[in-house]
Amino acid sequence: MSLILPTSPPESGRVARWLASTDHKAIGILYVLTGMVFMLLGGLEALAMRAQLARPNATLITAQTYNEVFTLHGTTMIFFVVMPMLLGFSNYLVPLQIGARDMAFPRLNAFGLWLTVMGGLLLYASVLVGPADAGWFSYAPLSEKPYAMGEGTDFWIAALLFAGFGTTLTAINVIVTAIRYRAPGMGLWQMPMFAWMAFVNAFIITFALPCLSAALLMLEVDRRLGGHFFSHGGSALLWQHYFWLFGHPEVYIMILPAWGIISEVIPVFSRKPIFGYEFVAGSSVAIALLSFAVYAHHMFVVGLGRPVNLAFAASTMLIAIPTGVKVANWVATLWKGSIRFELPMLYALAFIVQFTFGGVTGVSFAVLPIDWQVTDSYYVVAHMHYVLMGGTIFALLSGLHYYFPKVTGRHLTRSLGMWSFWLVTLGFNGVFLVQHALGLMGMPRRVYTYPDLPGWGLLNVLSTLSAGLLGVGMTMILWNILRSLRVGEVAGANPWNAWTLEWWCASPPPPGNFTDLPPIRSRRPLWDLAHPEDTDADRPRRHDQTHGHIRPEEREHHQ
Amino acid sequence: MSAAAAPSARRPDAYWGMAVFLVTDAVIFLLLLVAHAFLRRQGHGPGAGALSAAAMLPWSAALWASSAALVLAPRVRRAWASAALYGLGALLGAAFLLGQGLEYRHLLAQGHTVTSDLFFTGFYTLTALHGLHVFLGLPLLTALATLAARGRLTERRAGFREAATLYWHFVDAVWVVLYAALYVWGGP
Repeated sequence: MSLILPTSPPESGRVARWLASTDHKAIGILYVLTGMVFMLLGGLEALAMRAQLARPNATLITAQTYNEVFTLHGTTMIFFVVMPMLLGFSNYLVPLQIGARDMAFPRLNAFGLWLTVMGGLLLYASVLVGPADAGWFSYAPLSEKPYAMGEGTDFWIAALLFAGFGTTLTAINVIVTAIRYRAPGMGLWQMPMFAWMAFVNAFIITFALPCLSAALLMLEVDRRLGGHFFSHGGSALLWQHYFWLFGHPEVYIMILPAWGIISEVIPVFSRKPIFGYEFVAGSSVAIALLSFAVYAHHMFVVGLGRPVNLAFAASTMLIAIPTGVKVANWVATLWKGSIRFELPMLYALAFIVQFTFGGVTGVSFAVLPIDWQVTDSYYVVAHMHYVLMGGTIFALLSGLHYYFPKVTGRHLTRSLGMWSFWLVTLGFNGVFLVQHALGLMGMPRRVYTYPDLPGWGLLNVLSTLSAGLLGVGMTMILWNILRSLRVGEVAGANPWNAWTLEWWCASPPPPGNFTDLPPIRSRRPLWDLAHPEDTDADRPRRHDQTHGHIRPEEREHHQ
Repeated sequence: MSAAAAPSARRPDAYWGMAVFLVTDAVIFLLLLVAHAFLRRQGHGPGAGALSAAAMLPWSAALWASSAALVLAPRVRRAWASAALYGLGALLGAAFLLGQGLEYRHLLAQGHTVTSDLFFTGFYTLTALHGLHVFLGLPLLTALATLAARGRLTERRAGFREAATLYWHFVDAVWVVLYAALYVWGGP
């Protein structure tokens, strides 16, 4: 056991101390702030694209600029918004949930954060020289000379190498922390759901990120040293294989911690323990393994041959099963629960609906003829935004509203929160629901404009108007955060009546997190403490849910 | 990993952190190697025929011997001997880098560059990445030697010692695979 010096987030207003902090809470907050800053940029890029696409044959943005904007948007949102935010949550919550004072390697943790920030700065520095324009998956030979002569692609490669390295270091930290720093009495099977998902996620990162690093390295050797990996005698397909060998696990990297957040929120606001804990945790492991086994479903139109296509179609349908297990368990947790419609719960419920919808369209791609028809169309754009925005971003918003009281000691304002929730939800669905139809009508993705075909203009203008709503909603959330920091209602240590360990310490948590720990004899130590007559430890199998968490009027019925 | 291999039964955190990091590193090397094995079939030059396994063997042996020095270093009784063994490890690593440099000079003189042939695109990428790993290991071993000489390599620094040692063994093991795949194996 190496020595961990207790540190704490510095008092606000001392910028230098924040930047030099190695405390996991400060780093977690900085990660989330990094994500928010880049989200503003990525959001503005999205709005610019929607503005250009509002009308057929528009000339607001040139074709070249449009390519640069969607490349920046995709790269930003994936590597500098979603991943930093999820890693921020992991950083903040994992030690708190397992009763640790800090992460295993605090300084390495800070290093990983600053590498990620550096990557983001590099990406946006490329705007000065003309950013990369080959899309976020940067297919060779489009990303090679002579097609991409500028230095934008080199900046893009450097940015992703930096950010990927930082992410890997954070994953190492999460793995060692979760294995070695759990509080006495907490086995792996007693870890809270989010900690579980972050833990499994770290393993996916460990194996997936190096695939990207290797591919980027080869691309840079090609571009700068005149190598032949992907063109001039090499294989352009090799890039696709390596990129997707990273890229598909990546989408699961981006959804697992989001599932973790949902698995925390749903039980708390249903007043029930999560249904099928072992299945929710175990299906994550299955998904981690399968996520590598499905990667070539991004390449059904490449011509890999029938047997390969069939194998990957089958594995893609297979991965829907553990995913469905999770959704079924969340719904079963809601079942007969005593549901409180607080803001985190609303986002979580929207998540379930939207994520399931996105998942179903995802499975539709596993049917080869459908994929051949709709690949590279707006149907794909709609699908991926439903799972990544309707899924991950909504889960992050749920987590943001759920953990804000823990992080700051204050609640977010409810009325403002309700307005922004509905604006964001309606806006998001308005933007992307119509894009399924556009894709089925044949509108290709990554085009800067389109001819005036029947229906296309109308659906696109609907999409653009909804994007405006979405932007307003997101701005309101930001305003709510800034406002509530000063005037929010003061929250106690456990404002939501949750039963996991992170709600045991004060809000915000003091240096070293815990002054003392409750006895941990089950998955919900705080429940055991509050209900000594009916502890989880005495009744390890609570699937029948007949006590303590159901509406009072149902109580006699169960006795 | 038998428990006997460790001075203490319980490995420090840094050891496991390094172990996970090396997994990611191994994936990078593996993918580069697979790409190379796949692409070298399409090369037009002499490929591996231009390389001499015998000429590279002494330099490789130096690198592998440095691993042996690191195995012995924590096990010898006297501090100066331990420090000397760590220093020897660093010197052998530096010798390997020298051999690598000579090899590059020899190949470039023959006109085998990154751009000349698919085989050499992969060859230079793999060996340079490995060389970078060796280069990054040298200050670690030098630090270990210095600490050992001053008697500062105590249990409090066990994490650093074990992580650096593991890293070095990994780099040597990678060279075993690379030497076999690039110098010994004739290609698919």
